Amino acid sequence: MQFDLIRRDRASISMALLAPLLALLATGLVSWAIFAAIGTPAGLALWTMAASPFTNWYDFSEVLLKMAPLLLIAQGLAIGFRARVFNIGAEGQLILGAIFASALPVWFPGATSPLLWPAMMVAGMAGGAFWAGIAAFWRTRLNANEILVTLMLSLIAVQVLNWLLLGPWKDPAGFNFPQTAMFQAQALLPGLLPGTRVNIALLFASVASVAAYILMQRGVAGYRLVVTGTAPRAAGYAGFSAARGVWLSLLISGAAAGLAGAAEVAGPLGQLQRSVSQGYGFAAIIVAYLGGLHPLGIVVSSLVMSALYIGGDNAAVFADLPQAAVRVVQGLLLTFYLIAATLVRYRIVRARVAPA
Amino acid sequence: MTQTRRAFLGTASAAGLASALPLKLSAQDALQMALVTPSPTADVGWSHTLVEGASAAAEAVGGELSVLENIAEGPDADRIMQRAAANGAGFVILGSFGYMNGGLQLAQRYPQVSVLHASGYQVAPNFSPFAAKYYQGTYLMGMAAAALSKSGKIGSVSAFAIPELITSVNAFALGAQAINPEIEVSVVWVNSWFDPASEREAAQALISQGCDVMFSNAQDTPSVIALAEEAGVYACNLNSSMQSYAPNYYLGVVGTDWAPFFTAQARAHLEGTFEGANYYLGIADEVVYVDDWNGDIPSEVMGRIDDRLAAIGAGEFNPFTGPLVDQAGETRIPEGTTMTDQEIQGMDWHVAGVTTPLPS
Amino acid sequence: MAGGDAHPLLRLEGVSKSYGPVHANRSVDLAVMPRSIHAILGENGAGKSTLMKMIYGVETPDRGRIHWDGAPVAPASPAEARALGIGMVFQHFSLFDTLTVLENVALVVPGKPRALAARIRDLGRDYGLEVNPDARVHALSVGERQRVEILRCLMLDPKLLILDEPTAVLPPQMVARLFDTLRALRDRGVSILFISHKLDEIRALCDTATILRDGVVTGRADPRVTDTRTLATMMIGREMPSPLPAGTAKPGEVRLALSALDWTGPDPFAPPLEGIELAVRAGEIVGIAGISGNGQADLAALVSGEQVLPQARSGAVALDGAAIGHLGAEARRKRGLAFVPEERLGRGAIPEMALWQNAVLTAHDRGLVRRGMIDRDAATRFTETCIADFDVRTPGPHAEAGALSGGNLQKFVMGREIMLAPRVLLVQQPTWGVDVAAAAAIRRRLVEMRNAGCAILVISEEIEELFEICDRLHVLRAGRLSPSLATPSTSAEEIGEWMIGAAEDRHAHAV
Repeated sequence: MQFDLIRRDRASISMALLAPLLALLATGLVSWAIFAAIGTPAGLALWTMAASPFTNWYDFSEVLLKMAPLLLIAQGLAIGFRARVFNIGAEGQLILGAIFASALPVWFPGATSPLLWPAMMVAGMAGGAFWAGIAAFWRTRLNANEILVTLMLSLIAVQVLNWLLLGPWKDPAGFNFPQTAMFQAQALLPGLLPGTRVNIALLFASVASVAAYILMQRGVAGYRLVVTGTAPRAAGYAGFSAARGVWLSLLISGAAAGLAGAAEVAGPLGQLQRSVSQGYGFAAIIVAYLGGLHPLGIVVSSLVMSALYIGGDNAAVFADLPQAAVRVVQGLLLTFYLIAATLVRYRIVRARVAPA
Repeated sequence: MTQTRRAFLGTASAAGLASALPLKLSAQDALQMALVTPSPTADVGWSHTLVEGASAAAEAVGGELSVLENIAEGPDADRIMQRAAANGAGFVILGSFGYMNGGLQLAQRYPQVSVLHASGYQVAPNFSPFAAKYYQGTYLMGMAAAALSKSGKIGSVSAFAIPELITSVNAFALGAQAINPEIEVSVVWVNSWFDPASEREAAQALISQGCDVMFSNAQDTPSVIALAEEAGVYACNLNSSMQSYAPNYYLGVVGTDWAPFFTAQARAHLEGTFEGANYYLGIADEVVYVDDWNGDIPSEVMGRIDDRLAAIGAGEFNPFTGPLVDQAGETRIPEGTTMTDQEIQGMDWHVAGVTTPLPS
Repeated sequence: MAGGDAHPLLRLEGVSKSYGPVHANRSVDLAVMPRSIHAILGENGAGKSTLMKMIYGVETPDRGRIHWDGAPVAPASPAEARALGIGMVFQHFSLFDTLTVLENVALVVPGKPRALAARIRDLGRDYGLEVNPDARVHALSVGERQRVEILRCLMLDPKLLILDEPTAVLPPQMVARLFDTLRALRDRGVSILFISHKLDEIRALCDTATILRDGVVTGRADPRVTDTRTLATMMIGREMPSPLPAGTAKPGEVRLALSALDWTGPDPFAPPLEGIELAVRAGEIVGIAGISGNGQADLAALVSGEQVLPQARSGAVALDGAAIGHLGAEARRKRGLAFVPEERLGRGAIPEMALWQNAVLTAHDRGLVRRGMIDRDAATRFTETCIADFDVRTPGPHAEAGALSGGNLQKFVMGREIMLAPRVLLVQQPTWGVDVAAAAAIRRRLVEMRNAGCAILVISEEIEELFEICDRLHVLRAGRLSPSLATPSTSAEEIGEWMIGAAEDRHAHAV
């Protein structure tokens, strides 16, 4: 028996909604088999991963904490991805954002202005946009592939961070450990939910999501970006500038990642340290695609993704699940989603062979 | 109970953080212990010794140990230790300096939980930093290294330029100078506890510069040791023996055995006598030991090493006794003065003979 | 009927094929005799292409049988079909853009590159299908690509050659030569399935015709003895579309002027444009004839603004007397220039987007965008008007552009640009691949636009069409523009001579 993929006349909305659920289901089944094979209590591990983030307030607050940077970065990246500008280096832009933001409390440890943390957020966005802007410059000038440039810049960002932490910005009282001094209170983001670590970075991410929705789903600017990405010749025909699309995509996604980095140092970290990113820049790529590059979808996918992280941590505590297994689950989820997403535009039909 | 990770469950005592998940049930009165490590708990290295020590302690006090390995420092680690405490862990061992801020918050939030924190400097009533006096062992290792070095150049691949490891290099150089005053020690800081590729590259570079003994300073992987065996140079390391990776050229190990310390602290916790203090433990405390000496070490030198070992154990000898001269030639510690534990734990300069400048 | 064999080479019995609810073919019977040039006649969307794809193994029939040389076959792939001796030249080309002509040929035809290149040159010369074997396909014009397709098939010595609308882009002289070639092939024992909607060509070339409409065979005829009107009625199911509206050109002021325009594009295979002088006045249609690849793409881009001139040379393109050479496409559109490009899918419209979204592409400042936000209702209304006024056959404004047939999409793009009420309209290949009825409707629209005072520039390879609608003609060849030739006083032969360079030579000798 043979199956054919037939393109639908238009994208199926019901499939677009069903695809993530199918992916979750398939991920659950395959993960169950893998966990069982490596000898962990599979049912318990999966149940912990899936349910624990939502069944008590503390875990859910941690989901929200983790969701903020993922959501922020993924919204920025998705804008670029829809314009076919592939910023793979959000990790580096996040680090630069964290560095720029940290410069203020590091240079002015005595500053007590209430405007300190807002200034740090602005500096963080500038840092991220600057780092992404380098890739935009080379892309528009020399047609240098932004995938490679942003990725390489991430490696450089890590080295810049190391240099600062091992050198000029090292906490003098920190016994040579590579980290800055703890920031003063005015450099820290106000909390959002009392009794938890959730801070107003979640508000930033929410605002960014609304802005992304307006820009990409309603605005003519987003329309222009999508056209330059999906049909470059149509964009040239309409007179939409490709270079402008590249700049806009990279500056927006860079600024979003930079803001996420600033919110990390001014949030749960309270200082600049080597582990400023917990891999958010790369995880956000998965989040963006899981959300179908749609601003609303990304809100859901970032929630699912951070719940998966928290659930994975809990599974490590409760059910002896190795950390690496959590990554496997995430990888499975993305793979299955990409397979399921094909069904949004295509349908499977059984190929009928003509009777001879 | 020992090597296997056991789930905890328990009665979450902290308000608002009660676990909603009725998971595996275990004896309600058994002490729940958690160990968080920054690197995978491989067969060798720092995390491995912590697991061994914590497992022994759990067995000794009838507790249940959960090992949470390879946890990146930062918000994730903070959450995982909170999670562990919320689910009933009463005794938490944090295996990295980078867990300090999160660990202190944990100790504040859960006053009934006792926390041991590796390599730190902050103390709280239920939060004790602990560190090993590696320098006592590396001094002896330096003596052996100098005796076997033909080029007079020794290389060290080191993790982070923190006092704990600066002192281990310094003492290593001082011990080597006791055998050969002209000896030179070069250091490469790889800024990682666990990065096999960088460690190997660094060792390769040192060997190509003429170093013929390697000191793998606080690396959790055997890559330096394995490379030394390939290159035919001697090598030693900290924490646990890696002799199997270099059957011919293994110089020896400055090992750590945390079982007695962890056991004593766990008992103190159970008896309610746990007190926050800075624990700096060495040969006399049976935490630091030296072992697996290479047979190529001349017996005359081996004799001197044994003498020194006995003197250190008896408290009669401290490598950091003046006169100590720094890299600039300035006398830092005058003749007849010995550095205090506090000074040693804050040491941020290299002694003369270490040729690489400290990263500033 | 050529040849005396009693058995058909290819026979189809009750072949049906559906795509979901759409019946592309229903119970089609077809018999192709040896040594026959057999026409498949039908409008776009009549099911001709699907039928051919089933013969060529691209698609599998849902029902029905295919017999080859009397034996039942079910070719499951083009390779199997080629092995049987069936060759096909597609309407939408199956060439790889990034490979050279030679590499594309070598994918299908066995042989050493050097020998293949020599055969490409030889066959090209024999059949008037010259093409540089080392040229990359992306640099070739539509016409050149088709030549490669035909050459590639001929190189496999097929017993049956299927040609899907092969003459659409060939100049008259070349059409005549192609027909000679096809007749020569037939005489050498090759049968030919010739798909077309051009009745004159079919009557001149073919010995049998099977007429399709809406996927069903509506008639069989010997086109040599059947008149055009009867064939057309079988094909479109009604009388021929009404003739063009009356009215003659009343040229007014110069709207679009190109003066001393030189341009060397990045494409190494396209000739540079040299000293282009052109004026298009209000109320006239000016045609640019010529074979693709002679500078048409650059000329269109320079007029549309997709290619911008440096500030210093901006005067080379003028709109209403103002230099616009330095302005981009969007700025020129604001000044009243509209453009219907040759490739409607991917350039004139975005296949993945709905029609109302495609309306926004060029009509966004016609009230479809308010304060930076797209007004969906306004865009939908605009699109509905376009669909109604220009007879676009589609479920509605929410259908994706990629789902429309070529003719309907062309009507949509044309309608959208006409709705911009342009002062100057540039149209490239207005009816390429469009069915008879739609083509007539498009031509009528253009003439109506002219009568309403619009200045229209048409770049086309179809000479009949240019003669039908244009007031004046130029021929573009090797980057140079011929003098203006008034349509009433010139002939297809004269245009043809300019297209192949003969006229220019004579012109040069005379001077």
